[in-house]
Amino acid sequence: MQENNNIEEKILREIEEEEEVVLERKIREKIKKEIKEKYRKEFKKIRKKIEKKKKKEKKKKEEYFVRFSLNIRLQHFFLAVGVLILIITGLPIKFHEAAWAKLFFKIIGGIQVSRILHRIGATILIIVSVWHMVYIVFTKEGRREFIELLPRLKDVKDFIQNIKYFLGLTKEKPKFGRFSYIEKFDYWAVYWGMVIMVGSGTILWFHNFFLGILPKFIIDIAKEAHSDEALLATLAIVIWHWYNAHFNPEVFPFNPTIFTGKISKERMMKEHPLEYEKIMKEKNKK
Amino acid sequence: MKFLIILFLFSQTPEDQNRRCLLCHGKKDFGIMEKGEFKSLYVSYKDLKQSVHHKFTCVTCHDDVRVIPHLIKPRKIHCLQCHFEGNVIGAPVREMPEKYKESVHARAKKEKGKKAPDCYDCHGIHNVRGPEDTLSTVYKENIPETCGQCHKKERDGYENSVHYKGLKEGVFESAVCTDCHREHDILPPEDPRSTLNPRNVVHTCEKCHADVKIMKKTGVPVKQVEAFKESFHGIALEFGVLKAANCTSCHGYHEILPSTDPRSPINPANLAKTCGKCHPNASQNVAKGKIHVIPGEKEAGIVYYVYTFFKIFTFAVILGLIIHIILDLIGRFRRKEIAGE
Repeated sequence: MQENNNIEEKILREIEEEEEVVLERKIREKIKKEIKEKYRKEFKKIRKKIEKKKKKEKKKKEEYFVRFSLNIRLQHFFLAVGVLILIITGLPIKFHEAAWAKLFFKIIGGIQVSRILHRIGATILIIVSVWHMVYIVFTKEGRREFIELLPRLKDVKDFIQNIKYFLGLTKEKPKFGRFSYIEKFDYWAVYWGMVIMVGSGTILWFHNFFLGILPKFIIDIAKEAHSDEALLATLAIVIWHWYNAHFNPEVFPFNPTIFTGKISKERMMKEHPLEYEKIMKEKNKK
Repeated sequence: MKFLIILFLFSQTPEDQNRRCLLCHGKKDFGIMEKGEFKSLYVSYKDLKQSVHHKFTCVTCHDDVRVIPHLIKPRKIHCLQCHFEGNVIGAPVREMPEKYKESVHARAKKEKGKKAPDCYDCHGIHNVRGPEDTLSTVYKENIPETCGQCHKKERDGYENSVHYKGLKEGVFESAVCTDCHREHDILPPEDPRSTLNPRNVVHTCEKCHADVKIMKKTGVPVKQVEAFKESFHGIALEFGVLKAANCTSCHGYHEILPSTDPRSPINPANLAKTCGKCHPNASQNVAKGKIHVIPGEKEAGIVYYVYTFFKIFTFAVILGLIIHIILDLIGRFRRKEIAGE
């Protein structure tokens, strides 16, 4: 402290000599304070920089696990692209009276263009669903992943414990395996959505064919279900999936694992401790 | 003396002035031979006296007749002779003649030299009466007859329709020709401004068919237009796909019949054929189910239950997910606070 004061005194005296004035005591104290604050701010900035550098270095050194194979990553990518196209071109039809819907059709070049895009999206979606079926039936990796995704009693227990953990009733976070109940919910929700959307969508797409073999009320049901499930799926994706994958403070702004396939050891231990233990055991055996 | 004669002339009532004309034109068999045909020149003075022009004399309009009897054929007169902006007689001037100029009738007359109606073909010549006058040619109930003078086929079709039936049964709001085609500015359906352009048909029918008061009178369901607007046909039409079905594609236009009529295109037995105009595979199946469906109303049948299921299901699922997210965030916030302390 004493030293600091001396430095400030020194600076002030130098200035006084240069300007050939003597400052009052009050002003002197004030200037001293200001100088101190400035020092502090600079120190804080430097400290932050150092911390950032350390984090980066830590990340580079960190151990990574491969969480998703290229196959899964591509499936997710095409599913996401297909669904986004479908949502963007589908919602304006449901909300056709809204001004933004009218603007959308104007920008895209008319409802007929939007209709073609919607069918391109649908084709992507159908291809991905067939691809996934082949994947879980005919590949070893697919079968293993599918078994991991099957719902178990543990998921219910995890769910209850997680709610307790959120509420502060327990300090113990549930230990997840390869897939948490949240991820499993997302996976199985897609099955429900796919069956409804692809089923009803096919009827609407080939209505001229189906008009010949189905009573009209089935087509009305298809239209209603397509429209309603579309909204449910959109809300689930925007609210739930995007929260878990983007806006959750843990991963904000973006959890890149589904695109890069890589997950850090730190996150692996935190989010999938049981899987981590299993992998470590297998490694040690070898 | 001169003064007295003038005074005498002015003191004459129009009737007195017309007496000289009626000496000839008041006789029922008065006429001339023109191009080998007899042309009646009889004028029903009673008609003129009851018309909106009853205050005027014959020569007010036939102003080139100066000497009676006239020796030459008077020139053809036209309504616009008096009904123009700034006329001194006080003839009412409205936008109708301007509107007429754009109509198919005016265009046909001008361009092709075809027979097409001018003012007097619809409004009458000596018997011009106001539209609220039940004897007027342009009184609502008489309009089908007036237009039918030329459009005979359309009139015959119309006379079979529910609209004509309604009119005869005293539902005054029932549509006549002019309710859909308009009066003076009748445009061809190809014109985007026409009330009958595919873009505008729904709006034209909607004027009455979305009106609860009128529909209540006739017992016709009022929500059909609303349901149509939500259908794929309605949405496609809204965004300019003009080949999409509008009201008239299925219901027809002049000869609109109720679905109970076996001749009607919307009779269940005829629906396959009607839908088949655009949907080649349409079969008897199209008659199985409601046509104008509003999913949120119980009348929609099974569709209503699908709608209700999804409403509840979506609400429950999304609410559950949001609660999960909120609890997660609250937990994170609390743990951070504890750690911070």
